[in-house]
Amino acid sequence: MIDATTRKLALSHLWVAFAAFIVACFMGEYQVLERSGFFPVLDSAPVYFASVSTHGVLMAFVLTTFFIMGFGYTIATTSLKQPVWNKPLAWGGFWLALVGVVLAAIPLLTGKASVLYTFYPPIVAHAAFYIGATLLVVGSWVWCAIMLVMFSQWKTANPGQAVPLPMFATAANAMLWLWTSAGVALEVLFQLIPLSLGWIDTVDPGLARTLFAWTLHPIVYFWLIPAYTAFYVFVPKQAGGYLFSDEMARIAFIVLAVFALPIGFHHLYMDPEQASGWKLLHGIGTFVVALPTLVTGFTVIASLEIAGRLRGGKGLFGWILTLPWTNTMVLSVILALLMLIFGGFGGIVNASYAMNAMIHNTAWVPGHFHLIFGGTTIIMYFAIAYYLWPLLTGKALFSNIMAVTQLWLWFIGMAILTTPWHVLGLLGQPRRISSVVYNNLLTLAWKPYEFMMIFGGLILLGSACLFIYNLVKTQLNPTSETVVAEEIEFAEPIHAVTTLPEYLNGLRLWNKVIAVLMAVSFGYPILQFFFMKTFGSSAWGY
Amino acid sequence: MDQMSEEDRQHILESSPVGTFALMSAVIGGMVVAWLFLYYGVFLPRG
Repeated sequence: MIDATTRKLALSHLWVAFAAFIVACFMGEYQVLERSGFFPVLDSAPVYFASVSTHGVLMAFVLTTFFIMGFGYTIATTSLKQPVWNKPLAWGGFWLALVGVVLAAIPLLTGKASVLYTFYPPIVAHAAFYIGATLLVVGSWVWCAIMLVMFSQWKTANPGQAVPLPMFATAANAMLWLWTSAGVALEVLFQLIPLSLGWIDTVDPGLARTLFAWTLHPIVYFWLIPAYTAFYVFVPKQAGGYLFSDEMARIAFIVLAVFALPIGFHHLYMDPEQASGWKLLHGIGTFVVALPTLVTGFTVIASLEIAGRLRGGKGLFGWILTLPWTNTMVLSVILALLMLIFGGFGGIVNASYAMNAMIHNTAWVPGHFHLIFGGTTIIMYFAIAYYLWPLLTGKALFSNIMAVTQLWLWFIGMAILTTPWHVLGLLGQPRRISSVVYNNLLTLAWKPYEFMMIFGGLILLGSACLFIYNLVKTQLNPTSETVVAEEIEFAEPIHAVTTLPEYLNGLRLWNKVIAVLMAVSFGYPILQFFFMKTFGSSAWGY
Repeated sequence: MDQMSEEDRQHILESSPVGTFALMSAVIGGMVVAWLFLYYGVFLPRG
């Protein structure tokens, strides 16, 4: 049974996340309409870039951070069977992050922070944007601290026992996020806030981009780990089976946390400030991080196969048909894995040092990250919400049919939106353009793909509205009271795990490994800015 | 599912996930082919 405080805490976080999500969805559809060039009345570069910046911040920072915090509190209390440690601090983190969002929203919505969600200098936003973003991150650090304290307290109280897998994954994500956010925190605190306040005149954009690259790749895994957590701890049970291997799941989370961090230079392949040897080193690491995704794919599909066979499925693939396709968690994981295959392939192309030149800064890139983030990650956020809402509100889900329809629409919409986006990249369309003018053979070839993207965006917007409607109707339903299980049902592994070696049950060792890898992969590339002769700017700007 | 004997159930739990191996092999093979196509068919011809 989830206690009342956790319910309120989790629902508050999740509603902020989904409020940001629905606003961002409307902006997304406006953006494809505006960029298409089919509607001259909409043409406005300032409005477009204000919208793109807000859309990116809402989706990538607000939706994710608040969702992960709300989900984390739920996982921690239910898997460890203990209340949230220091509830006032948890609420303090929530309000700090929310104040940060409001503070950042003001310059975003008034066009004074049209710097996109990557906010690379030399473009500079109003200081309130950076200060607001900082408060959001500090609020999330509070969540990290609470998760790690609860993890540690449980281990102390239960010596020698295996930490429940859901909490192990959540604690690993908290550790990952502390490391991940340090790069952008250094950039914002020492470069962008002083610059935006006029305290300094110049900064070195190369250093800023290097520090952002520190954050930019592992942040994707910070967003993705809740989805992977659901893959491992919810899906097998919902499918009617067992988790194929608890140990393999832990290995996947460890490798994700360790190797997601020292690989960010594949975002800088075309940048001049880092030498090619460092880029190659990070490029090799990028391929290593594909391994935990393959392990996850294997373990989850094997768990589904067991479930399908226990439900009567025969033959090599007959088990797929016997899976409960109307279960929102099971349907979501199937659709998420399908999108992960195509999105993962796009990622491998991005990471390929030479081929990156072909798609660098083209429409391929937003196509790729929308498929991975908007597709695989967000569809699992939907599934988690559909699963948690009855438990958090005490009311049965308003409509399972509506939920299943919504998930299919999201998948179809995402396919129709992102396929032409990738093609446009290969056809040479740059990313970050505000409109297309069809006055030559190059841009005329883009026309049908732009039309398809508008259609895909409309389907996604409809799907998003259905999602919010279902959650609101569930929560506001005055008649439906607890008719569902009161406890979260975590999947059991085929072979029960009672004790584990410390390297599969703790994070201290891996924290040290990360420190070494980060020192090796980012130490010299950052320090060089303070030793090399620069003209017109200095590293921090002082 | 209800008619499944305990023996059958144990057999399923202990047997190798052959369908998963087949699916994963197909996916990885497909990715390799697609990568090679993109490299030799699209990237290199562009010079």
